[in-house]
Amino acid sequence: MSLNLIGLRTVATFSARKLLMNRRWALVVMLGALIALVMGYAATEDGANMHFASDLMAMLLLAFLLPVLSLIYGASLIRNEMDDRSIVQVITAPLDRRMSYLGYYLGLVMVLCVLISLVTAVGGLAFLAFSPERDGGVQLVLTFIALQCLGVLVYSALFLLLGTVLKQPIYLGLFYIFIWEGFVASVPGSIGEFTVRYQLQSVASELTDLGFVSSMPGNGALAALALLLVTAALLGAGAFSLRKKEIS
Amino acid sequence: MSNVAEARSLSKWYGEVIGLNNFSIDVPKGITGIVGPNGAGKSTFFKLLTGNIRTNVGHLRVLGEEPWQNPGLLARIGFCPDYDFLPPELKGREYLRFVAGLHGMERDRATARAKEVLDIVSMTRDADRPMGGYSKGMRQRIKIAGALIHEPQLLLLDEPLTGTDPLIRKEIIDLVKDLNKVHGHDVIVSSHVLHEIERMTHQVALIFKGRSVASGDISEIRQLMSDHPHNIVLEGRGLIALAQELLTKTYTTSIEMRPDRLGMFVRVDRPEGFFDSLPDLVARTGCELERVESLDDDLESVFRYLVG
Repeated sequence: MSLNLIGLRTVATFSARKLLMNRRWALVVMLGALIALVMGYAATEDGANMHFASDLMAMLLLAFLLPVLSLIYGASLIRNEMDDRSIVQVITAPLDRRMSYLGYYLGLVMVLCVLISLVTAVGGLAFLAFSPERDGGVQLVLTFIALQCLGVLVYSALFLLLGTVLKQPIYLGLFYIFIWEGFVASVPGSIGEFTVRYQLQSVASELTDLGFVSSMPGNGALAALALLLVTAALLGAGAFSLRKKEIS
Repeated sequence: MSNVAEARSLSKWYGEVIGLNNFSIDVPKGITGIVGPNGAGKSTFFKLLTGNIRTNVGHLRVLGEEPWQNPGLLARIGFCPDYDFLPPELKGREYLRFVAGLHGMERDRATARAKEVLDIVSMTRDADRPMGGYSKGMRQRIKIAGALIHEPQLLLLDEPLTGTDPLIRKEIIDLVKDLNKVHGHDVIVSSHVLHEIERMTHQVALIFKGRSVASGDISEIRQLMSDHPHNIVLEGRGLIALAQELLTKTYTTSIEMRPDRLGMFVRVDRPEGFFDSLPDLVARTGCELERVESLDDDLESVFRYLVG
């Protein structure tokens, strides 16, 4: 595989720019506002504390915002370029398609990390602004930002792959988020361990003493390693499928 | 290496649809025109040349190399597709820097080269405007500039004249000729209009229904087309005398007179012979012609004849 690092950087920055300039901004702002509203309101309730904030973040951000935004941005990135045929510039450049795929992935990860960090910070600050208890709040927000950035790595790899191999990746993506990650993850027994959400919560148990995530069973380091391995496998599969794909 | 591209018994199908069928061609250096009606397989050929798709059967070499999964070859090829893919929010210069980046050019070199190619395609003045506001001709020129940015040896232009007005068409034809003569690029250019290609090059290949039906110098192609039996319709008065004269000519195959005697269909195997002698015949027979039209002047009918 030839190493055209400038080409890789170009694909990554151009993809990031394209994603940021997309009209989906409105959706992100809406979701961010909704999360800030819910968290701000929750902070005014009796008994609101940092454990409560942690549970809210696990539910609103880790289980909902993270996979949904990753799906919306990830599944459409390469798929849209294939559909409007603007991918022609990338696939007719002297850049190995596996490198191009990596470029797309890096651009996607950069954008999602920025967006999710912003929404998490806004939601966390909304809670802290109205909560009578604030000790450890900033650390909790930073912990969830770090967790979600780890989650972005996996979900981006998954949904980018779906967008590369499927013409309608959204349907399978929604099924995955709401049935597998949403429903199966909460089923008692070991099957729930095979979800990204469960593994992220396991990592969270090593990083915070607040909320239900702190009591999640499992080894956090092992969970992080498993997530990274899954990411690498998904990335490899996506790069392979783009390389083999005939694009007309 | 005398040929920039060689295809041997190439077939490409998409499910049950055949894109190219047992297609063979040698594309020499210089400018080569690929001519065929819509759906003939021109774009499929370009996609195979760039390695976007792979052949099902047969062999293809571009600049001596197999194009499928060969990104190194793409450094020597510039491709300008027939469809519009330019991001409307980007400015022309930004777009060219993006393409230069994909080709591994550092920022300074990309900026300098973008300036050069903008000059070549006469787009310097509009380079700092968003491409969404460009006219069709400007978009074609900026696409060609994008294909030129890395100084490729071979330039592939798929239907660059489609949708352009006559003035822009002339500019693009002149540009294509310059790209070969002045800048030294070998060019493969496609069109469904033979006379447009004829203004760029004498080296032509005709494609019809996925097959290469003829290739070579335009004069040879023209000869083939001239040998093609033509159906000509004539309308006017005094046609019977003209028909009698025409039946004595060797080029006339058959004549069918309309019942009203005000029109007839003449089938000839050498249309030049017919058209050269027609004024003299009209003068001699005193007929009054109101309409003379060849029904076979469209390219598709010629292709059908060449395919048999």
